[in-house]
Amino acid sequence: MTPVTEKKDLSLLAKGHGLPLACFAVVAFATPFLLSGNRYFAFVAGVTMIHILWASGMNLLYGYTGLMPLMFAGLAGISAYTVVGLTASGWSFWLALPVGALAASISGIILGLPSLRLKGFYFTLCSLVIQTVVTLGFIYFSGLTNGDTGISQIPLPSMGGGQPLSGLAYDLVLSAAAVIGVIVLIVIVKSTLGRRLIAIREDDELAGMLGINVTGYKMIAFFIGSLFAGVGGALYAPYIGFISPRSFDVLISMNIWLMVAFGGRGTIWGPVIGAILLAPLSFLLQEYYTVKDILYGLLIIAVIVLMPAGIAGGFLRKKKESAPPLDVPATPRGAK
Amino acid sequence: MNDILLDVKAVSKRFGGVAALKGIDLVQHRGETLGMIGPNGSGKTTFVNVISGHTKPNSGTVSFDGRSVSGTNPFQIAKAGLTRTYQAVRVFGELTVRENVATALVDARDAASQEAVAEIADWLRITHRFDKPAGSLTLMEQRQVELLMRLVQKPKLMMLDEPVGGLSSAEVRTMIGVLSELKGRCTIFVIEHTMKVIRELADKVVVLMAGEKLAEGPPAQILADQRVIDKYLGTADA
Repeated sequence: MTPVTEKKDLSLLAKGHGLPLACFAVVAFATPFLLSGNRYFAFVAGVTMIHILWASGMNLLYGYTGLMPLMFAGLAGISAYTVVGLTASGWSFWLALPVGALAASISGIILGLPSLRLKGFYFTLCSLVIQTVVTLGFIYFSGLTNGDTGISQIPLPSMGGGQPLSGLAYDLVLSAAAVIGVIVLIVIVKSTLGRRLIAIREDDELAGMLGINVTGYKMIAFFIGSLFAGVGGALYAPYIGFISPRSFDVLISMNIWLMVAFGGRGTIWGPVIGAILLAPLSFLLQEYYTVKDILYGLLIIAVIVLMPAGIAGGFLRKKKESAPPLDVPATPRGAK
Repeated sequence: MNDILLDVKAVSKRFGGVAALKGIDLVQHRGETLGMIGPNGSGKTTFVNVISGHTKPNSGTVSFDGRSVSGTNPFQIAKAGLTRTYQAVRVFGELTVRENVATALVDARDAASQEAVAEIADWLRITHRFDKPAGSLTLMEQRQVELLMRLVQKPKLMMLDEPVGGLSSAEVRTMIGVLSELKGRCTIFVIEHTMKVIRELADKVVVLMAGEKLAEGPPAQILADQRVIDKYLGTADA
């Protein structure tokens, strides 16, 4: 007899994140120091941190809620352009960041509305179109975005004493953002919100029948997931120093999706690993960009065909007990 | 305990040119087990879909527990205490039974306590499967999980859409035992093709035929009704 112990005890992904989280935090904060001798490597690590944040946000939507939003990069772009625009007109970066992130979140809710009607692949297709329209928007409204030319020489945020946030300090901010992002995701997944989202992913009609407000929680998922996109986009712009519509196009969305799918959607650490493996790859292969595209294409196919559950998913599946054969008759069990 | 729990007035539903329900009136009292029978395509599942909010009726009103629930969402109806099962068993197959139950509890209006959950699980004899993925269980066990997930929400009315469909005859006997005890826990509305279930459980039977109510009354009377026999049961009483 296994009595249901505690309500908290009933959640699946609740346990066992303390140690990996501590390790991840140590590595994330140590990396900028360890790489401080080489600005290029430190920069690659910084960009990887942003991608960990993005992958975690994508994971909330794709991995836990079952929606594949290919306009994710577009949302990051909305935040990035908002922040760059606001800082150019005299705002402090630190004030512009939450505004930009909120702009991404609100856009995320609005652009996520088709998900209330469209399921699975059809929503993905729709989000692809939305992403294209957002990219065209970035090009079209050139008064705000400088069109295809992009905005360069984006000033660095300033620190307390008027000093620009540069080098190691900026790297540490990005590490903090990645760690906080992962912590927020863990908290959500452990909470009843996470349970509702997983229920919606598994069977949204059944979830509704059990009293879960599917519409409301999908929108909450979009709000939070887009917040991840927005914070990442806001931090990305001054770090790179240059943004253009190409910085936030569909390939970037696919890239972030690939990190989640490759690492293992619906697990906390899979997408983090996916981001750590794949984000630096584009720098390593920068000089062979044709090869890069082919490699990414092959990787997408490999993930879909060979390991639909990703690295972490494949690992988890091995641990799971195999299902009993189907033709075993159920032993008649009396109600008494 | 004889007040009206479910009051359906003139509910109609059309799918394109097909009238699935033609002005159905139905009253179910608290504690009264209502059985619904009828040939395939007569509108039974559509009727449950309309009541549970999955399908919007073209006309008519539904009130549940003294409140109008016409035009509200399934989750609001669920929170009002009306729950249902599906003709094809439906659980969160990838999640364990424990997680299925936990999911049922998160938005329950009146969630069962830990002890109550354990008590219901013991009664359904499903406790030993708690850490198995629900999708790996046998059909009978998945039906038990379905009942468990509903019961922890302490529903007022449970609508069962063919609860013994696909079960072996031994399992059907077991399930009838479970359902007759279930009557002590909540009011039951049951759709069935297996007359044994209807005969043993129902206090009142409604016969649907091509979207219309053909007959209504106590099971003994309905199952002997010549129109029902001619149009649905045939000579061999299933």
